[in-house]
Amino acid sequence: MSTSIPTVPDPGFGGPVRFGGPVRFGGPVRFGGPVRFARDTLLLTARHLRAIPRVPERLLDVTIQPVVFILLFLYVFGSAIHVPGIHYKDYLFPGIIGQSLAFGTIGAGVATSNDITEGVIDRFRSMPVNRLSIITAQMLGQFCEALLGMAIVVVFGLILGWTPHLTAGHAILLGALVLLAMLAFTWAGVLFGMLVRSPDAMQGIGFIVVFPLSFMAGTFVQISGMAAIPRTIADWDPIAALVASVRGLTEGFRSSGSWQLDHPEVAMALWCLALIAICVPLALRRFNRTLAG
Amino acid sequence: MFSAMFDSDPAIETHDLTKRFGAFTAVDGLDLSVDVGTVVALLGPNGAGKTTTVRILGTLTRPDGGWARVAGHDVVSEADLVRRAISLTGQFAALDKNLTARENIILMARLRGRSARAARSVADELIERFEVGDFRDRLVKNLSGGERRRVDLAASLIDRPQLLVLDEPTTGLDPRSRQVVWSTIRELVADGVTLLLTTQYLEEADALADRIVLIDHGREIAAGTPAQLKARVGEQRVDVVAADGAAFERLTATLAPLFAITELREQRTVRVAAPDEVADLARVVDAVQRAQIQIDEIALRQPTLDDAFLALTGKPLAGDPHHAAEEALA
Repeated sequence: MSTSIPTVPDPGFGGPVRFGGPVRFGGPVRFGGPVRFARDTLLLTARHLRAIPRVPERLLDVTIQPVVFILLFLYVFGSAIHVPGIHYKDYLFPGIIGQSLAFGTIGAGVATSNDITEGVIDRFRSMPVNRLSIITAQMLGQFCEALLGMAIVVVFGLILGWTPHLTAGHAILLGALVLLAMLAFTWAGVLFGMLVRSPDAMQGIGFIVVFPLSFMAGTFVQISGMAAIPRTIADWDPIAALVASVRGLTEGFRSSGSWQLDHPEVAMALWCLALIAICVPLALRRFNRTLAG
Repeated sequence: MFSAMFDSDPAIETHDLTKRFGAFTAVDGLDLSVDVGTVVALLGPNGAGKTTTVRILGTLTRPDGGWARVAGHDVVSEADLVRRAISLTGQFAALDKNLTARENIILMARLRGRSARAARSVADELIERFEVGDFRDRLVKNLSGGERRRVDLAASLIDRPQLLVLDEPTTGLDPRSRQVVWSTIRELVADGVTLLLTTQYLEEADALADRIVLIDHGREIAAGTPAQLKARVGEQRVDVVAADGAAFERLTATLAPLFAITELREQRTVRVAAPDEVADLARVVDAVQRAQIQIDEIALRQPTLDDAFLALTGKPLAGDPHHAAEEALA
């Protein structure tokens, strides 16, 4: 049997070209360069912000865990934990804030992976949309969500009686460091979200990597009391720098035992800058190359 | 620059287009040409390379070899111009599920450069045209597959694209939604939109396309008009569907001595070659009646593209015979 039939040029087509056509709406305005970038970024970020009140469970995802930990450690385990020189409540809340910053990676990763597997990112990529703005908006949307989640956790802490002892200078430094950390950990999440196969895989990575690191970071108990191996990990755990910085700035409570703990603010800033320096170029590269095949 | 202004460029032209994923070659030296104003269906089973081809044309994937031009622009070096010319809808309606149907269309219009006001008016026109009005303010995540598809199609037509690419536009839709999507596509075609669609459904390619390109393993197997492909496969046949398994056995036993038959056991169907067409149909009906066999259906059919694929490649199209049967009956 012959396996092909000749490709016959269609006789009836190639007729009148109608690129214009009858349906014509007001011609689109073309934007170029930075204007287009800013415009597209705003439009795409707005889509994330709109989703926040419509999918409250997503916000719950980033707030329920810290709230549960607060309740557990404050009212269940707390009486068994003694940290010399500080009330346990004041020890716990900064830890929760540091941990929540790190959890931002998981939230951003899951959301990014979701958008990719659903194809909506590909749709934007196939449109005349500034590509950098697609990924920037992805990050900004998650950043805003993390910020809102953090605000909820802090308010919850204040309601339960946490009283941070902040000077004006410390408040500014803390705010700057927290925003920097959110930026860094959100970018990391966006990168991981593009690398994993599915949102579930992202959850898995979060559970296996971020979760244990956030527990070894001196979040709930002092690093100095840990066994040798977790203590060694904690010496290099970026989350430990976050926790120690927040605790140092809000409560004036300082631990020591490693370079990180002796200089938590510097360590936190360095970790965040390093994370940004690594994750942003990788995320952009990954985004510009093939996504999902 | 000038090329886009002249009519001589095909809407799509590819040469020796190749894409590998590791050891797997998804697209293997594909030459494709789609003239302006035509509808071409890329027909093939799962994994034939349809989606990869579409993704290359939509600037989402870079080819490893060969080249592809859309509206005269190279998909790699002039990707931005390609994106202005093309509108691509992926296999799964790619909308923001947390926005409403209308908000999605407005967002796409704004991303294509419209002001907020202009975007709203375009969205409302498209909503009317695609009969999205009933669910325009519902979140996309709460819409059915058919409804999403319509929103998707509406959003694809914001800037009357020079080329519309639909990747499996009716996969996963129920027969009624499929009909609605088909009629929408037909309207677009009547408007003169150039369309490349991919499908696993023979019926769909037959119903919508001017020209069909059969692909498998990333290569062209055959191409031509639906009529040409069907003519290649030959004569008509009579399909007799038995009421149950026992009836099927009796049907086979009755018809086998009298006609050239093919048994489609899973569909309880006996396919009878019918070179004499209606006369053969009458003979088959007569034989079935005399043997008093319970049947569900008897019909004279044109050869389908399923048969064409079998004839041209030596293997059936989609792996699922039920599905093919369902399509043939639709």
